[in-house]
Amino acid sequence: MKQTPEFMKIQENMQPGILTAHGFIGDDTRNIKDIIEEDNKNILSLDLSHSDIADRMQYFTDLAVNELGNRILIDNDFIVSIDDHRGTMPCPFRDNYKAVKRNTKLENTKLGKTVYWSDLNIHMIRDHGFYEGKGSFFRIDTKDITEILGMITAK
Amino acid sequence: MDILLTVLSISSISTVLAIIIVIAEKYLNDYGDCEIDINNGSKKVTVQGGDTLLSSLGENKIFIPSACGGKATCGSCKVKVIEGAGDVLPTEEPYLSENEINENIRLSCQIKIKRDIKIVIPEDFFNIKEYKARVESIIDKTYDIKEFRLGLIEPSEIDFRAGQYIQIKTKPYEKIKETVSRAYSVSSVPSEKTGIEIIVRLVPGGICTTFMHEYLRVGDEVILSGPYGDFYLREDADDYIFIAGGSGLAPIKSMIFDILEKRIDKNMIFFFGAGSKKDLYYYEMFKELDNKHENFNYVPALSRPDVDDKWDGEIGLITDIVSRYVDDEMKNHAYLCGSPGMLDACINILKSKGFTDQTIFYDKF
Repeated sequence: MKQTPEFMKIQENMQPGILTAHGFIGDDTRNIKDIIEEDNKNILSLDLSHSDIADRMQYFTDLAVNELGNRILIDNDFIVSIDDHRGTMPCPFRDNYKAVKRNTKLENTKLGKTVYWSDLNIHMIRDHGFYEGKGSFFRIDTKDITEILGMITAK
Repeated sequence: MDILLTVLSISSISTVLAIIIVIAEKYLNDYGDCEIDINNGSKKVTVQGGDTLLSSLGENKIFIPSACGGKATCGSCKVKVIEGAGDVLPTEEPYLSENEINENIRLSCQIKIKRDIKIVIPEDFFNIKEYKARVESIIDKTYDIKEFRLGLIEPSEIDFRAGQYIQIKTKPYEKIKETVSRAYSVSSVPSEKTGIEIIVRLVPGGICTTFMHEYLRVGDEVILSGPYGDFYLREDADDYIFIAGGSGLAPIKSMIFDILEKRIDKNMIFFFGAGSKKDLYYYEMFKELDNKHENFNYVPALSRPDVDDKWDGEIGLITDIVSRYVDDEMKNHAYLCGSPGMLDACINILKSKGFTDQTIFYDKF
């Protein structure tokens, strides 16, 4: 899919060294419109919305915040912890959103699988349907995340 | 065939328009010489228009605090603009309160100089200098925290107050082509003027911390500027409470050693929150200080000690420990440095004990 000049500027923002050391695209050769489009299809096929996923991620992050880095057992199956750093991270989509530099680690003990996300991930998923490019440091695979968050049953 | 011709026509028109825009920008954006009037005429500099206020001042050796190096991501480079800056830009709005907008506070990294401009900055900013330094040592303090000692080359000495920070400029590495600046609190004492020590925790994906941890070597030259910040020790308190976590120990270490060195007769209690023993550092050093000085009490606390830690110290969240030790009668100043989550939680505890915004000091980068 062809990108607008605005999206080309956003894609520039996502290159390594602009906002983060590794950028947001990884080794994905697709443009961000195509990345978003494909992930959107995957999410719709699961009968979910980006907000559903962002809400679920935010739910775990909010519960773990007060533990100041300690692991906390949530809803029997999830062990969650927070790691936060000084500073804020602007959204590469140029929407003036600033996320605190906070990472959440969630382990689904039933599946034996772990996923990491940043507060910026939650925002980008909710507001832009963007899960980062393949191979990116904080790429969130749409199928994996929905399974690990307990939103669909793993097959 | 028609489609091909249409695509070719549109591409040609776009190319011609792009060339016209580039040529027009060259002439239309030539703002010529512009004057920056600082603090009602106390200093005036003439700059070539077209660059940002932040970098134009920097070229004239006037350094405005900027933890992000001018990318409008930290909101630190605020200055008061009397005239000549135009309207507040959308990129500035998230960082400015309504009061600040009413008082003409602006982000200097976002203001492009197109005409003469009048600004007001704190006098302290004139003391900020750029330094060339050499890395003298790099020591692993924990699995993700390193201590760096930087010897100053030119200028060869720095004056700063315990608690202040400097900014380090990275060099391009791997895919990163641009230089960025990031803020780090000084952990050495102000009396050591010929060098500084900083403590850097690796931030996953962080441009500068990755550079510092993985690419900087002993003997390398670095460019830094400083000192910056109003998080420094006030000597008018009865006693002091210090609370830190992670690399937030840096400015607190500087303050504690400064007080001890100056033999200021105040009681100090230092709470350091960590997960397990592997997150503790400078433990022996602070223990020794605790044993040696009657007025210094060190309270390290682990929130989740490992089985092998054999820890007989305080166990629990730092907020719970602080809550137990600090009573409502204390007339202290509290200095905090650490992660935003820890800061917010500790500030709430201190306020519940009667501390106020005037007696709690912290650097929230």
